[in-house]
Amino acid sequence: MPEMKKLYEIGNRPREIFLSPDGETPTRRSRVPFTRRHWLKWRSRYNPKSLKLEKRLEDKKPLWWMLSLGLLLLVTPFLGNSALTVASIFCMFAAINVLWTLIIGTAGIFSLATLAVVGVSGYAAAAFNVYLGVPWPFMFVIGCLTGLVAGGVLALPSTRLDGLYFALLTLGIVEICRVFVQQLKSLGATNGSINQVDSFIPSDWFLQREGLLLGFFGAFALLLGALLLFKLVNSERLGMLLQTARDEEAFAEAIGIDYRRARLMVFMISSAGLGIIGAFYAMYYRSISPSIFSLDQLLLLFAMIVIGGIGRADGAVLGTAIVVLIDKGLLDLGPVRILIVAAIMLLVTLLTNNGLVGAREQFRNYRNRKKSEARARRTEKGGEVMPEEATDMPDKQEIFYRRFNKRLRDELKLLITPELIEEHRRKPLGRHSDALSRVLNYFRRSEMPDKYAILRQPENFNHYKIVALSGERGAPPRLVDDRLYESIDEAYHAVFLLRVNDLLES
Amino acid sequence: MSTVTLIHGLNLAAIYGLMAIGISILWSSVGMINMAHGATFAASGYAAWQVSLIAQPLIAAWLGTGLDASIAMGATMIASGLGAGAIFGGLIFLLAYLPIHEKANFAVRSLIVTLAINLATVQLLLYFFGPRQRALPKIFGLGRTEILGIPIRNDQLGTIVATALLMLVVVIWLKRSRKGLEITAMMQNPEGAVLSGISVRWTALPVTMLTGALAGLAAILLSQTVFVSPTAGALPLIKGLTIALLGGLGSIPGAIMGAILIGFLEAIVGSISFLGQRYVLFSQFLFIITVLIIRPRGLGGLLDQTRESRNA
Amino acid sequence: MHEILKIEGLSAGYGPLRVLHEIDFSVQEGERIGLVGLNGHGKSTLMRSVMSLVGWQNGSIRFKGQEIGGARSTGAGRRTHAIVQLGVALTPQGDAIFPGMTVAQHLDCGAHSKLAWRQRAQRRDAVMDIFPPLRKLESALVGTLSGGERRMVSVGRALMTEASLYLIDEPSLGLAPKISKAVLEALFALPKAGKAMVIAEQNVALLAGRVDRMVGMHAGRLRGDVGHVALS
Repeated sequence: MPEMKKLYEIGNRPREIFLSPDGETPTRRSRVPFTRRHWLKWRSRYNPKSLKLEKRLEDKKPLWWMLSLGLLLLVTPFLGNSALTVASIFCMFAAINVLWTLIIGTAGIFSLATLAVVGVSGYAAAAFNVYLGVPWPFMFVIGCLTGLVAGGVLALPSTRLDGLYFALLTLGIVEICRVFVQQLKSLGATNGSINQVDSFIPSDWFLQREGLLLGFFGAFALLLGALLLFKLVNSERLGMLLQTARDEEAFAEAIGIDYRRARLMVFMISSAGLGIIGAFYAMYYRSISPSIFSLDQLLLLFAMIVIGGIGRADGAVLGTAIVVLIDKGLLDLGPVRILIVAAIMLLVTLLTNNGLVGAREQFRNYRNRKKSEARARRTEKGGEVMPEEATDMPDKQEIFYRRFNKRLRDELKLLITPELIEEHRRKPLGRHSDALSRVLNYFRRSEMPDKYAILRQPENFNHYKIVALSGERGAPPRLVDDRLYESIDEAYHAVFLLRVNDLLES
Repeated sequence: MSTVTLIHGLNLAAIYGLMAIGISILWSSVGMINMAHGATFAASGYAAWQVSLIAQPLIAAWLGTGLDASIAMGATMIASGLGAGAIFGGLIFLLAYLPIHEKANFAVRSLIVTLAINLATVQLLLYFFGPRQRALPKIFGLGRTEILGIPIRNDQLGTIVATALLMLVVVIWLKRSRKGLEITAMMQNPEGAVLSGISVRWTALPVTMLTGALAGLAAILLSQTVFVSPTAGALPLIKGLTIALLGGLGSIPGAIMGAILIGFLEAIVGSISFLGQRYVLFSQFLFIITVLIIRPRGLGGLLDQTRESRNA
Repeated sequence: MHEILKIEGLSAGYGPLRVLHEIDFSVQEGERIGLVGLNGHGKSTLMRSVMSLVGWQNGSIRFKGQEIGGARSTGAGRRTHAIVQLGVALTPQGDAIFPGMTVAQHLDCGAHSKLAWRQRAQRRDAVMDIFPPLRKLESALVGTLSGGERRMVSVGRALMTEASLYLIDEPSLGLAPKISKAVLEALFALPKAGKAMVIAEQNVALLAGRVDRMVGMHAGRLRGDVGHVALS
């Protein structure tokens, strides 16, 4: 068999990832252990031109994740100390933001108290460690439990209040936490912070190269854990339930989805995760201070998810990377860096619909909308198909049919003369001239919707009105106008005139 | 309840009321939650401080140090606060309303944009003026006035009277004037509003300027007792927001009622010796959360219902 | 006779959908025109594109010689208030538009010119003479009224300021025949001098004999007013 000549690759095809297996061996795909999911989303199909089997990678996101996280893990240990710290902070904040995305995006609860949950659990874990002597591995458990409790307390009003109301309320709760911690008498000496917290980093390694490395690997593990939790919650059962409820709450309820419970579950789960992060935070810095509850810190975190795009894990991580790089990486700039963050936040919100990760899709939608608008301005109804419209049509026969029809109409328009109309008026039925029978033949072949018909008036035998058929089964025809025709020939001719009018206008 | 507590409560209620009403009006007319209200507050405080630096020697040279001079100084302060607030309000209109008001999800978007403005303003103030706190000149003097046998500190009296007057003017303006009617119309149905010859784009400008001016006035009045600092806006913003929530976002009577309740709560809790100032914020938020759990729409949530009936 | 509105080559639509196809249409002073046609054939879109309220539009619309149309693809409604102030009044299809206002407030909304605002009490009175049922409902919320009363409020709002062109979209929609007749009677009773009125209606019988000219609308094109072949 001769080789097919090389196809021109147009559209998105050059950017797609293809495998060309031979059709003989059966496809094998390994699964993620303990689940029914595959590692990558390969889709097989036969190329309609070459009739070759090809496997296309439908979802390229896992590759991007692997690439970026792997790069982070490999490159960071060779960086300097300050860059290592920035990377660790990035991982920690990214973990917080991924869980926050779970709350705002998946559960749809607009909570601004995420950092407060982190802080409260951090404080609880640190307090247990410092004042009660609980060893550091149990701090994670304490943090997790505190996060769960804090999440429960926060979730209580979320069932009653909607959206923005709850957001504003949580803002108040953050402020309470800050004031409360600052005014605790037992912490008065240290201005509200707990110091000397035990940590997974041995104390003689603290702020040394080894300690920083260990801290980074810990933070990286935390980020991986947060991403895994996101995946488990967002794309498994709970997330699916909530996805149905997102657009149409009443409908979800009607088909038996208890979306409120699912929301609370997601909220509690991510709060517990935030609690663990809180404990980690206290351990990483070996202290925790009220500044974690400050409005500015909260705003900075919010800026991260807003810049990346609310509701998507990649958005949360991307936004965190941008903001942490500016905030911690450009320390020399002073207050200007917050200004830069604010400016980026402003621009992103003004220009995009959902952060930077949504920009691509937004641009495509915009382009498509403009294209179709422009097409609608240009094309006439039933006219020839425009080239860019033709690429979207699955049934290419339609294109030729419409082109043929257009030419036919152009041809027939030339045939219509006053003499022709006069001929039809004199003799609507019977033998006609060549031109008239061509025109009539075209009319007879027209489509059912809006086809004209003659309705005999029930009260009066010789009175007729013209109706237009709806073209739908069950939908009655409608009256075209209220003119009454005294004879059937007159009605025939009126229908003819209407048709001619339509033809000339098209 | 002692009269001192009463007056203190009214004083606080007046300042919180100014903030809360601004937030409420903006939500009900434009449909945006202004998180930059605190920034407006801080910026107007600084503007007034700058003006006072310039104006003080001028007024002293012109009128001396008599009563005239202090009245002129007070008027300058209030005017500069109102003016700066109004200008800042205009800025919020330009950034947070004009470019995005036709786009989807305007409420969340404007919230984010105003948050960004807040963030930027605080940093800018920090950049130009440093973290040091500044004191505004006392515009009502330091003495006390006796009314019905009750001695009242001049600044408290001035605050209460000025706020009550201004609120009255605002409420009447919203109720009686063509602009007020336009604002209501725009809130209920933007398309209907344009069909009534109302420009949806430009009607929002006076509203944002008005609410900005209210925040500016609040800044001047609160700065009689507290200092001006770059982060001074955070607490008034949060208090104003929660009071607006308590009153039911968008309801002006609700906001006034909420401000009075919260003001008195603060005064009473602060005056009880075994509770003290430390539990003020705590008790306030507990109160607000309890009310909101019982009545999710706040004290007066009527307006939101009309908003929803339109959307339905 | 004087031309109030002249539309030339107007196409309009929403996104990829093209609703109006190159429409030419004109309204003379003192004319009362019935715009008839079925649901979805573009009557409302024609009226809305005069007000610059559709998704995109193309083509010239001249109101008393002043261009208010032109090509536009974004910002629906940005120019509308200016068009209203020029003297075009549209009562949109369906119900009254501000459900949370009292009848009096709702009528006041229509008084957008300075003069009308100063005389709003008299003008409200005049509207209530046209629609007597509104008189006793003056302080009722519009959202609580019956369909017919709401329609009266909606039309009344358009009458509050003197306009030279009234566009009334489906005054009978969803109303009992008796009430829709009453609303239409009130419209027909308005003085015609120096003004014009276009009434969009599905029910031809309601307008028959009461309007100066009946224009059909079908699939985004006008019928009976302009045509390549006379329909007689």
